Amino acid sequence: MSNYQVIAAINAKFHVAHDRLESIHHETTIPIEAHQLHEVVALLLEQMKITHLTTITAQVMEEPLDNLQVYYQFWHGEGLTLAIQLPAENPQLPSITDMIPGADFYEREVAEMFGIAFTGRKTTPPLLLPDDWDAEPPMRRKAGETNG
Amino acid sequence: MDKLTIPIGPQHPLLKEPISLQIDISGESVLGGSLRLGYVHRGIEKLAQSRNYRQNIPLMERVCGICSHVHTTTYSYAVETLLGITIPPRAQYIRILLCELERIHSHLLWLGVLAKHIGLDMIFMHTWHDREMVLDLMENLSGGRVSHGVNQIGGVRFDITPTQHQLISKTLENLQKQVTKLIHIVEVESSIKARTQGVAVITYDQVKQYCLVGPIARASGRDVDLRRDAPVPPYDQLPFNVITHTDGDAWARTYVRIQEVEESLHMCRTIMQNMPDGPVSVKARRKVPAGETTMRLEAPRGEVFYYLRSDGSENPARLKIRTPTLPALNILPEQLSNIQVADISVVLAGVDLCIACADR
Repeated sequence: MSNYQVIAAINAKFHVAHDRLESIHHETTIPIEAHQLHEVVALLLEQMKITHLTTITAQVMEEPLDNLQVYYQFWHGEGLTLAIQLPAENPQLPSITDMIPGADFYEREVAEMFGIAFTGRKTTPPLLLPDDWDAEPPMRRKAGETNG
Repeated sequence: MDKLTIPIGPQHPLLKEPISLQIDISGESVLGGSLRLGYVHRGIEKLAQSRNYRQNIPLMERVCGICSHVHTTTYSYAVETLLGITIPPRAQYIRILLCELERIHSHLLWLGVLAKHIGLDMIFMHTWHDREMVLDLMENLSGGRVSHGVNQIGGVRFDITPTQHQLISKTLENLQKQVTKLIHIVEVESSIKARTQGVAVITYDQVKQYCLVGPIARASGRDVDLRRDAPVPPYDQLPFNVITHTDGDAWARTYVRIQEVEESLHMCRTIMQNMPDGPVSVKARRKVPAGETTMRLEAPRGEVFYYLRSDGSENPARLKIRTPTLPALNILPEQLSNIQVADISVVLAGVDLCIACADR
């Protein structure tokens, strides 16, 4: 199934903003809302048999300032990215480990490095940081701070 | 019999890299296990944001101590995509030659480790001896056995001289003789099969659920190889077979890896025969235009993934690295259940652990 068919299928159910589709080289980017994530992933798995989640990438954006951008990056012969914007305060995402057990490590890393809470998981233990880490999430840049 | 939890690591004479394993046993049966990562977390993704694009190449080289070259290659291709430059054909061939040499030595290293774990020290000695030939060759080409420093933004750092060309051909010839012997040993030696067949099985469904990649996925029947499915030049011009197996056990993974060494040797010979003349690098600007890109390459352990975002400054705004070992470690606790204590080492060796990769 090509990315065009995937977009058409997702568009039939959810409204997709077309201005983001080509924004990442080598990827088709589909912007969705956090509350749609579970349904969209279920659609990918069940209807389109797209099962390979390469990783989950989070980052702090400059525009809108300090908002978080989370990418769910799939591969099915082509790159397919689900893009979700989250607010700087109290960011939350539904866990998809019930559908893709392989997402466990990626969610834990995003949770500890960016302070994003994943709902629907029993626990979200740290993956790379020490157990007693109590400072702020290391990859969250403060307002006005430049790279590094 | 009562349950007993044995902690192995993070520092342990049997482990080459730090990882903490908690293994629950009852007599000789393993009931389950869990693992803890992070003991070699260096914060490479964060560090990359405070260095410029050129300074990041030596940093990327240190993500992994075995497949260091594929990381700088993936990173360089990502930066070059944003810069909008194409590197010269000769540089493409040199990059991929080193990628394949790296795959050969990584797979030979792995076979040696497996042989050591299952008590076949003689095979360990032979594979590591053969691996030295590749390391010596890479040292001759680049100056480094482990960190090669081959890549720069816009191409590669050195050219291959006619003398080195001859040396490569000679080494490939010698390696081929050794690898043919090794394949024969692996295929007929019953003690290898006795210790690996039916052990540490990963099913096709598990491969999909845990998003596994590389030789592990191929040994369980998932026909995926980015060298064929998303080729960077000159992979699209190199004939090779994607090796798959359906058994999904430690034996199938041994078969896939050793056959891949044979395929890589074949690819190296084709690269040397067809290597074009010309420059090995082009000039690249220091500042990278704003934009986002992803890059996927087939490392020895499978799909290595880089996401890069530039905000137009001299440093990356975000660099995400997903190494192929991470999904393989995710399935480890599931594999460490309902097995015998003696098979723990086969399970651990089977996934081709690289903790530094996973921790970054």
